[in-house]
Amino acid sequence: MLRYQGSRLWPLSLRTLCLLAVWWALTLGEPSALGFGLVVAVLAARLSVMLFPPSGYRLSLPGLVRFAGYFLVKSLIAGLDVARRLLKPVVDVHPGQIRVRLRLPDGSPRWLLANTLSLMPGTLSVRFEGEWLWLHCLDTRQAVVRDVRTTEARVATVFGLSLSEEEAKS
Amino acid sequence: MPDLLIKGWQWICLAVGGGFFAIGTLGLFRFSDTLSRVHALTKVDNLGLGFIVIGLLPAVESVAGGVKLMLVWGAALAASATSAHLVARTVQRRPGMTLNEEYQRDD
Amino acid sequence: MTAVLNAVAAILLFTLLVALVRIWRGPDPADRMLASQLFGTTGVGFLLVLSEALEAPALVDVALTLALLSVLALVAFVTRVAPSVSGDGRSGANEEDRNA
Repeated sequence: MLRYQGSRLWPLSLRTLCLLAVWWALTLGEPSALGFGLVVAVLAARLSVMLFPPSGYRLSLPGLVRFAGYFLVKSLIAGLDVARRLLKPVVDVHPGQIRVRLRLPDGSPRWLLANTLSLMPGTLSVRFEGEWLWLHCLDTRQAVVRDVRTTEARVATVFGLSLSEEEAKS
Repeated sequence: MPDLLIKGWQWICLAVGGGFFAIGTLGLFRFSDTLSRVHALTKVDNLGLGFIVIGLLPAVESVAGGVKLMLVWGAALAASATSAHLVARTVQRRPGMTLNEEYQRDD
Repeated sequence: MTAVLNAVAAILLFTLLVALVRIWRGPDPADRMLASQLFGTTGVGFLLVLSEALEAPALVDVALTLALLSVLALVAFVTRVAPSVSGDGRSGANEEDRNA
């Protein structure tokens, strides 16, 4: 578990480490570039903490790993699903839009959900409208909402959130 | 022998990737509404890119090179999802194209 | 191997060219903006394959830049060109689906 300690030092050092890893990959591990990378990573992390202050969510590492696996499998299915519909003699779609009430809080969780849903089978996030998210569906005959709820629950575990059931019913 | 096996694996991945890109482009013509076309571009093309990256991975010389390829893939994924949302937002909803959540539940 | 890479690169370039017909025909401005997304995925794939075929590692950097810039082009389109999408006059929540 990666816990947000309340101090500014922890998110700053975590972001510096991530940026340094990105720099290392971008420069193909060139040792002579690491000095510059360290300076740039510290400055960029400092700036990012100023622009995007830590949200206070406790990111769960196992949740993140499981989410990545779920995402990879589902996006593979999504691509195959669209390809299958396209290759039929008559294009097999039944498009329409639905809206779902989001149970996730505003900010990163909703953003992650919306972007993930766009890569999931049959759904494409169109726009936010307050508590609601409009989705375009390739096939409205499928149980789209059930899939959205599953993904929503997965996103919630990444951020260490629990979703209340009553809110979903309203 | 394992060398040939890896090469074969690469060929398959690259060919499958190219195939998915071709299907994605087909979607641009076979789907009749803009948002369905966005579906095709986002999902199928990203899968194509994924296969291309997996096909290229065995050829990289260093670990950092491999991480960099994965980084490009991740950036393209995030870019594609964001782009899809941005395009979708601008498409005006046509009347008769909507149904609500309650309808879905009764299904 | 290089022959395979070149063939795949050619396929990708061909699909990109065919897709440009859709961009040309439109008809919606949003259809045209799909070009940006197209270059963000097909263009990136093409550059990655080409980088391996030509043994030009710098093309990977070009691919990364292209992926990131494609979003910026769309942001510019959404904020400056597209009509306002502030959510007014959208009371269609209870409409029945005509095809259902």
